[in-house]
Amino acid sequence: MPTPSSSGERTSRWRWLWILPRLAFILFVGGVGLLLWMSDRADREERHATLISDMLWLEQNLRFHLTRNEELLGRIDRAHTANPRAFESFARTMLGYESGLRQLIWLSTSGAVRLAHPVTTDPRLVVGADNSASSKQSFRLALSLGKPVYGAAYPYFGDEWQFEVHVPVSREGKLVGVAVGIYRIRDILGDSVPWWLAERYRISIVGDSGKILGTRSKVESRVMQAGYQVAFDPPGWGLGLHAVPYHAPRPLTSSILSASLVMLALLILWSLWILRRHVLRRQAVEEQLRREHAFRKAMEDSLDTGLRARGLEGEIIYVNPAFCRMVGWPAAELIGRRPPMPYWADDRLDETRAMHDRVLAGDGPEEGFEVKLKRSDGELIDVLIHEAPLIDAHGRHSGWMGSVVDITERKQAAERERQQQDRQQSTARLVAMGEIASSIAHELTQPLAAISSYCTAALNLLRNAAPATEVEPALDKAVEQARRAGQVVHRIYNLARHSENRFEPIVLAESVETALARMDVELRQKEVRVVPELMARLIIQGDPVLLQQALFNLFRNAAEAMRNTAPDQRQILVRLTHADGYALLTIADRGSGIDAKTADRLFQPLFTTKAEGMGMGLAICRSVVENHRGRLSFEANPGGGTVFRILLPMAPP
Amino acid sequence: MSGALTHIVDDDPAVRDALQWLLRSRGVASRTWESAVSFLGLAGHDLRGCLLLDVRMPGMSGFELFDRLRTSGCRLPVIFLTGHGDVPMAVQALKDGAFDFVEKPYDDNALVDKVLAALTHDAIRSSREDSVHALRDRLSRLTQRERDVMQRILAGKPNKVIADELGIAMRTVEVHRSHIFEKMQVRSAVELSQALGLLADLSENYSKVLK
Repeated sequence: MPTPSSSGERTSRWRWLWILPRLAFILFVGGVGLLLWMSDRADREERHATLISDMLWLEQNLRFHLTRNEELLGRIDRAHTANPRAFESFARTMLGYESGLRQLIWLSTSGAVRLAHPVTTDPRLVVGADNSASSKQSFRLALSLGKPVYGAAYPYFGDEWQFEVHVPVSREGKLVGVAVGIYRIRDILGDSVPWWLAERYRISIVGDSGKILGTRSKVESRVMQAGYQVAFDPPGWGLGLHAVPYHAPRPLTSSILSASLVMLALLILWSLWILRRHVLRRQAVEEQLRREHAFRKAMEDSLDTGLRARGLEGEIIYVNPAFCRMVGWPAAELIGRRPPMPYWADDRLDETRAMHDRVLAGDGPEEGFEVKLKRSDGELIDVLIHEAPLIDAHGRHSGWMGSVVDITERKQAAERERQQQDRQQSTARLVAMGEIASSIAHELTQPLAAISSYCTAALNLLRNAAPATEVEPALDKAVEQARRAGQVVHRIYNLARHSENRFEPIVLAESVETALARMDVELRQKEVRVVPELMARLIIQGDPVLLQQALFNLFRNAAEAMRNTAPDQRQILVRLTHADGYALLTIADRGSGIDAKTADRLFQPLFTTKAEGMGMGLAICRSVVENHRGRLSFEANPGGGTVFRILLPMAPP
Repeated sequence: MSGALTHIVDDDPAVRDALQWLLRSRGVASRTWESAVSFLGLAGHDLRGCLLLDVRMPGMSGFELFDRLRTSGCRLPVIFLTGHGDVPMAVQALKDGAFDFVEKPYDDNALVDKVLAALTHDAIRSSREDSVHALRDRLSRLTQRERDVMQRILAGKPNKVIADELGIAMRTVEVHRSHIFEKMQVRSAVELSQALGLLADLSENYSKVLK
């Protein structure tokens, strides 16, 4: 039995159940995210390390080039500086090492340009020019130190930057000049940075203010990230090597893995959502179903009409509380029972069983039928049952559904009503009869009173010795009144008596059937069966109306005599035969019989054994039968009850 | 003051005639009426004798006639002749002042006895009524002053007191007293008291008479 709070409990339990997959999902996503983040970080760190080592290597490499160039420049000898052609050749060799060196200049110790290759007309390149202060400073510093000195970087053309290296050259301990090498910064990078490095990083040389002086980049238009910078020595002067790693494509497998993990997460999320939606829908449907069920149950429980379902075999498969209340048996004891049911009335088992079988055969009366049922406490109740085929959800005929209405009260009320009506009718009849009798009595009383008075007067006169002439008139008048009384009696007799010329041929069997048909309702109500065994074609002379009335009275007496007989015993046997020119009609009931005291007075008018009777029925019967020159008699029925015998002379053929 | 008659009211001529014969055989004079209405039409108030009344009659019934007679002040004794079913009503009529009732079928001579009893009763009633009538007649002849004196005599007051109360001479009282005794045909105050007591018994108008 679901209680109202259970639905709340259920939803809260469901809520708890729902937290679990959510938690799992969140943990899963978090774990995957962490994993991806960690692997990404490791990757980044590794690349950073690679960057640093690459940069160190590059710096090393550049330093090596510059140092070698310094040495080569320091070892310039006379042959090289003898004529421009020799110097050019030397310069070509130097420039050919691809170390970013673009120009060689041979300066005398005074700073005058002796030789240059390639020859340039740019005044800024000419050492000693006014605007080339740094160059002069480097020159002087190189002379004074006797060591190679690098000058600060300066723009040479547009955004091209270059710097110089002044290498003092001494021969046999004597300073002979200064070899100046001019490095173009862009070319340093272009010559010395290998392709595989340039592919990975954007490498540039920056000034001390962070300005990019030259850059080597194969791939343009990539977002620069924070890179790594190392000091660019030996030129110094705040120059630095700066490398920014390109946004390198992630490894394909890792991307696929990440993508598949995300896909997986999404898939899980989606399936979880689908599942949740399904479950919610199911839950809603379940709730609706439960509510529907509860509503139906409440309806069935609160119904006054009993409901009872039976299987095809007649076993009870369902009863509602109203039915249980009606018969007084709990549902548990009824369900599964097969006939005979415990609530069938004992004395009507056959009848009930027959009706049960009829219903199971699909032959039950459509307008319903009335039966008597026995409650568990033995009380009998009248019920009206309507049976209908029970069709299950698959459209199969799976049994019989019956609605049972208790009509005990209704029947009792109807019975009381009928009895009341009967009583009223018989009272009305009695009153009417009383009126008739009273008026008859009055009619007779008058002449009788007059006779009495006349006679008394005559006696009085005679006693006083009056003469006969004085007495005679009184006696004459008394005689006259006696005659008058006789006439009254005769008139009454004429009134009550039917004249004999109404006689006509009657088929006796038809009269019996007509009388029975008139009694049909009453017989059914009294639950009396009539078994007619009528010989056809027995014809008598008689008054059909009177005869029917007599038969009607006899049948009614027979039915009423069985008031206290068990219903299955209530039977009237009507037999019509003939013997010796007489038709013999016997009416045998199984009633209470007639005791000897009653038997003597049975045919007397105004004698009755019934509370509402007038005592005219049998008197009328006998007078009618005797009117037909027949005889009415009765005897005890050997099996209990009474047999009335009517002998009527048959009409001559 | 004619002779007493027994009046028979019955719708049945034979019964009327038979009853008349019966009464005549015992020497009782009677007169018959065929219906209540005819009796009412001919009968005066000073009827003497008795009334034999059939209960069941077409038109006006016996009981109705009885009621009419009572309301009109006729005090004739009534004997009802009733059928079987009318006894309760007859008993009620008896309570209302009917003399008797006889249920049909009746013993004829017993009926005649009852008629005779009723006649006797009526005769006594008549004589009493006559004496009351005479007393009233005598009372009416007294003067107002004599009545005043008489009231005081009946109250048992001596002549002297009466004279004082009325403011007259004692001698005058004695004269009034002798006139009263003469007019009322009595010889003493005691006789006067008895005569007026009888009147009081018979007539509810006693006080009215005295005033």
